[in-house]
Amino acid sequence: MNTHSIPEKELVAIILYISLFFIIVAVVLIIFFYFSRKKIIQKELEKKDLVLQYQKEQLHAIIVTQEEERKRIAQDLHDDISSKLNIVSLNTHLLSAPNLTEAETIEITDNIINLTAKALENSRKIAHNLLPPVFEKFGLNAGVEELCEEFESSKSVKTYYKNEIDFDDNIDRHLHIFRILQELMNNSLRHGKATEIWIAFKDNNGINTCYYEDNGIGFDSKNSENQKGLGMKNIDSRVSFLNGTIKIDSEINKGIAVIFTF
Amino acid sequence: MNEELLIYSTYTVLLINLIVYSYSFFRKGKANVFFVSYLAFCFTMQFSMELCYHLGMTNLIFVNMFFIGQMILLGIFYNSLTQIKSQKIFIKISLTIALLVLAIQFYIDSSEFFKFNLFEITLTNLLIVIYALFHFYNMLTENKSYYYTTVGLVFYLLASTVLYLIGNFSLGLSSELKYLTWILNAFLILIYQFFILYDWIKSFYKSSVNLKS
Repeated sequence: MNTHSIPEKELVAIILYISLFFIIVAVVLIIFFYFSRKKIIQKELEKKDLVLQYQKEQLHAIIVTQEEERKRIAQDLHDDISSKLNIVSLNTHLLSAPNLTEAETIEITDNIINLTAKALENSRKIAHNLLPPVFEKFGLNAGVEELCEEFESSKSVKTYYKNEIDFDDNIDRHLHIFRILQELMNNSLRHGKATEIWIAFKDNNGINTCYYEDNGIGFDSKNSENQKGLGMKNIDSRVSFLNGTIKIDSEINKGIAVIFTF
Repeated sequence: MNEELLIYSTYTVLLINLIVYSYSFFRKGKANVFFVSYLAFCFTMQFSMELCYHLGMTNLIFVNMFFIGQMILLGIFYNSLTQIKSQKIFIKISLTIALLVLAIQFYIDSSEFFKFNLFEITLTNLLIVIYALFHFYNMLTENKSYYYTTVGLVFYLLASTVLYLIGNFSLGLSSELKYLTWILNAFLILIYQFFILYDWIKSFYKSSVNLKS
């Protein structure tokens, strides 16, 4: 038996408070969603800015490398070819001078022949450096073989090259690998003062892997300062083009070991 | 029988929460001091209410004290979590104003504090919900801290406020219906306490295990 009867006033108050509570909660929730959206959008924009910044930096790096490459080619052309062709041109002017003895003519022509031969050889070398014809015609394996031979003949370094992979003829991808090896070998000689270099291509459970080692002076691979050079950045971006991974191990006086997949 | 089991299991989970959070606080110095005090306060209040019930006294004064204490402690708790100055100022000012208003109400009509004080319940719970939403907002882009606790808190407050608001009304109902609302409330508290326990497992248990190994 219900003895208490609830006063109407009380009932109205309860209903009023409940509806007030929910109205305020609803308003607060709407404000909350509004500000949350704003915050998330702002965060998203910041992220996009970061991506743009990164792309800008990459573009910058590309332009810098391009300029450096141009400078190098210009220097090569100037030093090795232009200077020689200049002398050739001088000599030909001498030939057209009157009253030349037979011996003088022979000496001048010999000079010209020698110099043009040298200029030809140099231009061949420059072109070769830019893109080896062997690589273009016979693929990566032959290209690397020739690269090793070149290093052995001209730069007093012993190379050991071993290949266990049958390369297909995807020349674009192979060019990246070739350039990475070129950069690594140049670094080994220039910075590492290496006298022996090992290169091996192996098939690790279906993943093509390249092992590179030298016996140079190495560097401290834990120090991140050593990984910010333009050459290293270049290698990194090439590996990312190949959808591969790269691992660089080095200690001072213990050479360098690089493993990358492609 | 079932009701008592439900109610005592809430007490048990609350006690477990208090113990594990105090452990994290005193041994590892990690858990928030205000949150630990909140749990201790909850436990004391529950214990006093239970005691009053067994002594046959009315425990509604403790319910009202519980709401005010909960608002103060959780307010300070969220105040210590937020890093944003405007939020800190808002929390402090709103807490002060709310306490002032409640003091005035107590001065004018102190009998309100011996039954379910509708104004007080609405005000305190609304403020806590707002503080909790502040915390959600801050967690959008930062690391989650006390995430599950806040989820549980908002869930519990939204549901239980209505139950408390109809408290005076339910006093007049027949005893079967009267207890139904309080069983529901006990169930909600149990879920809330499990959220707090889960939060501890997520954020403190793992790190304490990692420290040992």
